[in-house]
Amino acid sequence: MTSHIILDNNDGTNKKSKATTKLDQIVELSLLYDFYGKLLKDHQREIYEDYILNDLSLSEIASEQDISRQGVHDIIKRCSKQLMDYEAKLQLIEKFNNTKDRVNQINVYAKSIKETGCLDKIDEIEKLSYQILDEF
Amino acid sequence: MAVKMRLKRMGSKKAPFYRIIVADSRAPRDGKFIDQIGTYDPTVEPSAFNVDEEKAKQWLANGAQPTDTVNKLLKNAGIL
Repeated sequence: MTSHIILDNNDGTNKKSKATTKLDQIVELSLLYDFYGKLLKDHQREIYEDYILNDLSLSEIASEQDISRQGVHDIIKRCSKQLMDYEAKLQLIEKFNNTKDRVNQINVYAKSIKETGCLDKIDEIEKLSYQILDEF
Repeated sequence: MAVKMRLKRMGSKKAPFYRIIVADSRAPRDGKFIDQIGTYDPTVEPSAFNVDEEKAKQWLANGAQPTDTVNKLLKNAGIL
């Protein structure tokens, strides 16, 4: 049958253009923060939150915390590195993204089954569900 | 009184979503803001940036300082 037409969506060829901007960086770091932020020390976390979540400048944080601008810079750099190290070791974000992709794919299959009543993607769904489990 | 335009991270865990807000620079931590002028959603492809252009221009004319990141967004949107 012809249910595969709907499933032939884009293959995710992403165009990561240009060098990563500060904006991309903040989004990326805030994702790291979501996953591993609790592992930072309270003081570090406060500073990191201001920088990543509230978009404060280094000097604003510095005057708020009563430390030097350089000190803030060092803490943010150190925290970022720490969080990246966690990701390198644990890959929770990568796994999360893979799971998200697979779940989205399952949703696409499920939708097409609902619409067409054609069950030939059931095996795919089964395969994907095992892949999700296997990764953890 | 210096007024800044910043991003403010909202959204649930693992699904970042930002508001572009106008806030007093002297009360950065308490979360109060004067005005919201737009949103930014990096989770969709391409990322979605919505801004109230009139409000943004008015705040800029009144001397509100965008942060680097907001500056970038406004530039991309052709407002700056």
